[in-house]
Amino acid sequence: MGTGVQNQESVPKNLKKQLALAVRNIQWSYAIFWSISTRQPGVLEWGDGYYNGDIKTRKTVQAVELNADQLDLQRSEQLKELYEFLSSGQTSPQARRPSAALSPEDLTDTEWYYLVCMSFVFNIDQGLPGRTLSSGQPVWLCNAHCAESKVFSRSLLAKVCAVLTVVCFPFSGGVIELGVTDLVLEDFSLVLWIKTLFLDSPQPIVSNKPIPVSGNKNDLVCPSLDPLIIDTELSPILGCEHLETASPDVSPDGLEPNQPGEYSFLVQGIDGGASQVQSWQFMDVEFSNYAHHSLNSSDCISQTFVDHRSIIPLGQEEKDNGNGLQDVDECNQTKLSSFGLQNDDLHFHAVLSVILKGSHPLILGPQFQNSNKESSFFSWLKNGLVKPQKARDGTPQKLLKMILFSVPHMHDRRLPESPEANGFTDAVWRPEADDICGNHALPERKRREKINDRLMILKSIVPANSKADKVSILDSTIDYLQDLERRVAELESCRELTELETRTKRKPLDHVERTSDNYGNNKTTNVKKSSFSKRKTRDADEVDEEIDHVASKDGSTDNITVSMNKNDFLIVLKCPWREGVLLEIMDALSILSLDCHSVQSFTNGGLLSLTIKSKVVIRNIRKHFKSNFC
Amino acid sequence: MENSTQESHLRSDNSVTYESPYTVYAMAVSSTPSPTNLNHQSIALGSFLEDYNNRVDIIAFDPDTLSVKTHPTLSFYHPYPPTKLMFQPNRKSSSSSSDLLASSGEYLRLWEVRESSIEPLSVLNNSKTSEFCAPLTSFDWNDVEPKRIGTSSIDTTCTIWDIEKGVVETQLIAHDKEVYDIAWGEARVFASVSADGSVRIFDLRDKEHSTIIYESPQPDTPLLRLAWNKQDLKYMATIQMDSNKVVILDIRSPTMPVAELERHQASVNAITWAPQSSKHICSAGDDTQAFIWELPTVAGPNGIDPLCVYSAGSEINQLQWSAAQPDWIAIAFSNKMQLLKV
Repeated sequence: MGTGVQNQESVPKNLKKQLALAVRNIQWSYAIFWSISTRQPGVLEWGDGYYNGDIKTRKTVQAVELNADQLDLQRSEQLKELYEFLSSGQTSPQARRPSAALSPEDLTDTEWYYLVCMSFVFNIDQGLPGRTLSSGQPVWLCNAHCAESKVFSRSLLAKVCAVLTVVCFPFSGGVIELGVTDLVLEDFSLVLWIKTLFLDSPQPIVSNKPIPVSGNKNDLVCPSLDPLIIDTELSPILGCEHLETASPDVSPDGLEPNQPGEYSFLVQGIDGGASQVQSWQFMDVEFSNYAHHSLNSSDCISQTFVDHRSIIPLGQEEKDNGNGLQDVDECNQTKLSSFGLQNDDLHFHAVLSVILKGSHPLILGPQFQNSNKESSFFSWLKNGLVKPQKARDGTPQKLLKMILFSVPHMHDRRLPESPEANGFTDAVWRPEADDICGNHALPERKRREKINDRLMILKSIVPANSKADKVSILDSTIDYLQDLERRVAELESCRELTELETRTKRKPLDHVERTSDNYGNNKTTNVKKSSFSKRKTRDADEVDEEIDHVASKDGSTDNITVSMNKNDFLIVLKCPWREGVLLEIMDALSILSLDCHSVQSFTNGGLLSLTIKSKVVIRNIRKHFKSNFC
Repeated sequence: MENSTQESHLRSDNSVTYESPYTVYAMAVSSTPSPTNLNHQSIALGSFLEDYNNRVDIIAFDPDTLSVKTHPTLSFYHPYPPTKLMFQPNRKSSSSSSDLLASSGEYLRLWEVRESSIEPLSVLNNSKTSEFCAPLTSFDWNDVEPKRIGTSSIDTTCTIWDIEKGVVETQLIAHDKEVYDIAWGEARVFASVSADGSVRIFDLRDKEHSTIIYESPQPDTPLLRLAWNKQDLKYMATIQMDSNKVVILDIRSPTMPVAELERHQASVNAITWAPQSSKHICSAGDDTQAFIWELPTVAGPNGIDPLCVYSAGSEINQLQWSAAQPDWIAIAFSNKMQLLKV
């Protein structure tokens, strides 16, 4: 093995060979070296890699004969080249590439995985390599395809590409990652073995950056100093994210710090570094599958895979909230089949978009490839606002306003003023608007309820109102009040008038009132009667004359009308009814020497109406007159 | 030839333009492929003529050849400009070879769009008397419950129709003033905006109460349009009259908008959420521009910038982003309709 200086900044040439050797030795699928980026500080990126897995289509230049090792090396190179080609954003695969170059359809899924990994970057603490670097400890991940993406961000990719086991360990300022498509139970002796392959001399594994350590008792350990030391010192710290329920190796509960041989503890919801839970959450049913497999009762993946959703239109997925945990297999099936169905470009995009969350320059969103000539849209220039082409003179939102404001009125001039006029009855609901801001909700609602109660009471008091809505109730209350006021005014004025009349007319008619005393207290009647009587006696001598109507007071409840035709008197009389009033009237008439031959009377609401037809008996009148007034 | 179709398109690499004989306002993109050709998409265009006679034309868009075809018989008259057109969402292709189109004017009308003809299906009229009608400003077709359409009217009410039976499910007095737009959230929840400046959410299970989730800062400034994010039901967008801002609301935190997208240089006319992504929204306005925005989790200090922009020839009045064609956005300006590749 090479003895080259393990420079932390650059990837040594023979690292590839070392990776190749290592991964071939253990017959795993791939090896990747993640190195600290030279461009971005604090970030791990693809350093070098070696692919040892299944190959679908081998493309080689015929002339060159390569042995097995070299073939494999070449494959890795080809993959890298393909990646670079694709990442440069050219869509036409035929442009300027060597004939033996790979194109997307030549790759197996595992090769895809390897290729896509090239695009990954990890912050320190983020993802498997990041955490490995920060903790300085090897990490063994079984069932990578089932891991939570917080733990292993490429888990979905792993699932598709059937990478089941991934192991990371820090090395030389970076992280070496090994992966295989089989499930290999954790075995850290393997890790040690690999390390020995790499190292010919003990190297301290130091990290250049101050790494925030969360919860681990982590001093910078130098596990590689002595393989034996590693065993004893690493005891509490090694993490194995083991999420398979059936595995006998797993101790699912917590830390077992005091057992040097056992290096497993469950990773419970590692936070920090991993992509933040975004508040723009998806109700994405597919990801709840992981909850199935997770030993933790931790919640579903809350990552949003925006692009994934868009690129894989798997019919109408149910967007039910928390419902429909699909079968894992079914989900796998559909994913894989959807990947297979699309054409190859789409395959590529799909795979990439599944993983990348929009921060990667390749994918801004599967549709929004601004470097892609196909879009009509242009990217937004931060400082250069595109000038509008015309100066705006007219009304803003002119067409929209016309649609909303004037078009409805074009239809029919006769529009109802209120919904009630349109024939709506109680079938129309009028919801109470709840203002749910601040603390006003509860007292506001109480106030409204009080108002409603009062209105109901008002409705029951006020007659003649069939509608239940507030406006009608208030309207009819107003009407009713006005009506009542009017009546009261009339009554009062009527009463005054009668009082007035009574006072003014009392004196000259005293004598007549004597005859009317029988009538009791009904002054108005008396007034009438007395005036009537007076006239009667006067006219008694002129029986041939006609007598016009006695003027009756308007608007009062009493009136009397007398008309005369030759010898016949027609008297129409109204007065408030009381016990015996009819008898008194008849008596009065007889005193006046009127011979009644027809009397019609009826009472209505306390009022007595009389219609009397009578004849005058003359001789009696004279006598009566003389006796009374002489 | 009786089956004369015309091709009127301006082909460019990534957009298709159709020029209509009249100003276009109402526009709808079908959710199912055209019955004639499964690759084609039907688009309905409603004219805007200040006249009694207005027309609605159906054209077919072929994304492969980037062309649109008109069909002379796929057209019908409409009294006064239709205020909104919409195809039935999520129409199961097995149900028939025809498509259902709804139009709103003074009444809600349903039309069956067949291969070469359009048949009127029903006129949904809720007025008890023949004299009065309450013209509709907008409507929305519930995509979870496809027999349910909610309409908004200038008589301050929203009416929910069961179109299979042709009857009113319920009617609500939604606001104090004219209601300008309505949008469904779930099967029984809808929201509406009004001239009184409020966004209110209604639940058909509790008709006694509604919830105000936003009121325009200047009282009584009308809110003209509303869009509910079908991918993430927490979010809604609305635009105010004469405003160049798109207001994004979170229904969990009422009265405070989560974002105000203020990059238009003139007032905004139309907004639509992306049908396949919960984070993207498109807006178009009088500044002749259409923006696609990506809403971040955390906004920068200077506000949110759009992702990308398109400039049309004149003020853009209408915007549709169909779920059936998530790669294409349809815009309408003056008498043109354009399909833009996203």
